[in-house]
Amino acid sequence: MYTADIRQPLVTGGKTYSDVTKDVCRPIENKPTSSWWLGFSIAVILLLVLAGTLAWTVWEGIGTWNVNKSVMWGWDITNFVFWVGIGHAGTLISAILLLFRQKWRMAINRSAEAMTIFAVFCAAIFPLFHMGRVWLGYWPLPLPNAFGSLWVNFNSPLLWDVFAISTYLSVSLVFWYLGLIPDIATVRDRATLKARKFWYGFFAMGWNGSAKSWGRYEVVALILAGISTPLVLSVHTIVSMDFATSVIPGWHTTIFPPYFVAGAIFSGFGMVLTLLLIARHVMNYQDYITTEHLEAMTKVILLTGSIVGLAYITEFVIAAYSGYEYEQYAFANRMFGPYAWAYWTMMFCNLMAPQVFWSKWARTTPWFIFIISIIVNIGMWFERFVIIVTSLHRDFLPSSWVMYHATWVEVGIFLGTFGLFFTCFFMFAKFLPVINMAEVKTIIKDKE
Amino acid sequence: MVDKSILLDNKKFTVGIFDDSDKLLHAVNTLKEKGVKIFDCYTPFPVHHLDHALGYHRTNLTIGAFLCGLLGCLSGFTLAYYMNVVDWPMIIGGKPQDITVFTSFIPVMFELTILFTAFGMVIMFFARSRMIHGIKEDLLSRRQTDDHMVLAIDNDQEQAMSKDDILSLLKKEGAIEVNNSKEAFNTSLTSEEELAKLLKSPKAPTKAKTSTKKTKKK
Repeated sequence: MYTADIRQPLVTGGKTYSDVTKDVCRPIENKPTSSWWLGFSIAVILLLVLAGTLAWTVWEGIGTWNVNKSVMWGWDITNFVFWVGIGHAGTLISAILLLFRQKWRMAINRSAEAMTIFAVFCAAIFPLFHMGRVWLGYWPLPLPNAFGSLWVNFNSPLLWDVFAISTYLSVSLVFWYLGLIPDIATVRDRATLKARKFWYGFFAMGWNGSAKSWGRYEVVALILAGISTPLVLSVHTIVSMDFATSVIPGWHTTIFPPYFVAGAIFSGFGMVLTLLLIARHVMNYQDYITTEHLEAMTKVILLTGSIVGLAYITEFVIAAYSGYEYEQYAFANRMFGPYAWAYWTMMFCNLMAPQVFWSKWARTTPWFIFIISIIVNIGMWFERFVIIVTSLHRDFLPSSWVMYHATWVEVGIFLGTFGLFFTCFFMFAKFLPVINMAEVKTIIKDKE
Repeated sequence: MVDKSILLDNKKFTVGIFDDSDKLLHAVNTLKEKGVKIFDCYTPFPVHHLDHALGYHRTNLTIGAFLCGLLGCLSGFTLAYYMNVVDWPMIIGGKPQDITVFTSFIPVMFELTILFTAFGMVIMFFARSRMIHGIKEDLLSRRQTDDHMVLAIDNDQEQAMSKDDILSLLKKEGAIEVNNSKEAFNTSLTSEEELAKLLKSPKAPTKAKTSTKKTKKK
């Protein structure tokens, strides 16, 4: 394939195959650094907060949350959509960019996929506990029940969500594990400790890099990418239908599926950038995750951020033009009502802030990208908060208008999911290869 | 179901170890031209065109994947249709609950199609490639998952060239190490001391054989 001379190399620093192996296996084969311990300890403390607040919720009941009969979805569903959205970048990078033959994905796909899986774990907590009796969490599954022949309702988008999220989680896990096998085999063959030999040997499933296996492996990876692409698009489409198929003004819009998918990719890339900028700095992976990678990702942020911004404006124009007073009021209330601060935070973070990436300097300066990535994360949380809470708190009946503020339990659960997410991520960074060695070795001599 | 041609047990191999994928590919092509049957190659990463050079056909796993997907799709429909139409129709707002609600079954059918395809195909891949948890791996070089590429020729197979010729040809193609009777070993179940012994012993015949290189060149 022809590549122009102005293209930058994908891996810098003149790395050889064995350099790649050594660099990527270093954290696995050595004792964790003090910065790892520091980060891991903070994450575990937050994880304990999660355990505590969830235990309190189960013990005392959903009354510990401020959700009520008008605002029946508060921080919980906001956080659910937030985490599911973050989970979208991993599969996008590994599946859609594989189909588009974007080679820069190879250094970052492993960690992005890990992020996907951990984010979906975090997301699943919210609907499960919001149902109130978490020990009956299997009720949304299509099982015959003991109280008669009533089954789950297949007309409900909430049930579609059960299928979509669980399929997404399991297919992402399979995709991730398949990609890990050759790298786990590399760690196995370098291992000198008995326990490491055994466990990595166990999970490597006898992989020996045979050309026959590689041939099959590549076909399987391609097909998985092919089916994961519509899957990733379907998941957030179905999440958006949880809202769009209702009759609540502000939710009942046909623009939701594409708008939510773009928003999910936007927030996912925001989180990938946050994590990778830390990982690349702490683990010294600047030669693998180069500024070229950062630039490519910021371009995706710019594109999806603009799509999201366009969707906000479209929604507003459609509401104004609809001649439907409740819809018009819902949008006026978002902009100028009691939650206007949340709306304008969202507009600033998602529509305005990413526009700085038109500048080459902004796209290639890591500390600046880090700040913007945090802003994107905040903005996307507020987007879900605005959609859910401002639409619900003033519905058709003025007598049921209320304000909603989260309790410490809801805040604790949200912070706690960050603990779960980062605990998983730190464990991943310690025990598994953070960069896909086998794939990076194929592009070591290539250009972008 | 397991692909028998990938088993290395109780076999001895003539191997050439390369450190460059282009050299390996060239060596494979040269050996194939001379009519040498190659058992398999072992590489730390997928080397493009190598499967083609070795004469492997594209895998049929895609057909299996399609069938799994079809099964998933039908399962999704059957599940939803039986539960919501046949067994216990839920009449909400007086709307009909028959085949016309088919459209609301589509998301579930779609998700199950993907689920069945992914799991079915990966399970078939593991089965074909003889991969399962706890199986011992057959390696010919400890660095074949790191930076070495191994070209293996089964010593029991009839070859168009003599073994010495093959070894010298491999050397000429740029192999950094050749060996005329290598046996498979594994790292996960063998202790370091035993591995050290295993990996040292077969060195002696290698040197003797490679000395024939000069005469064959002429």
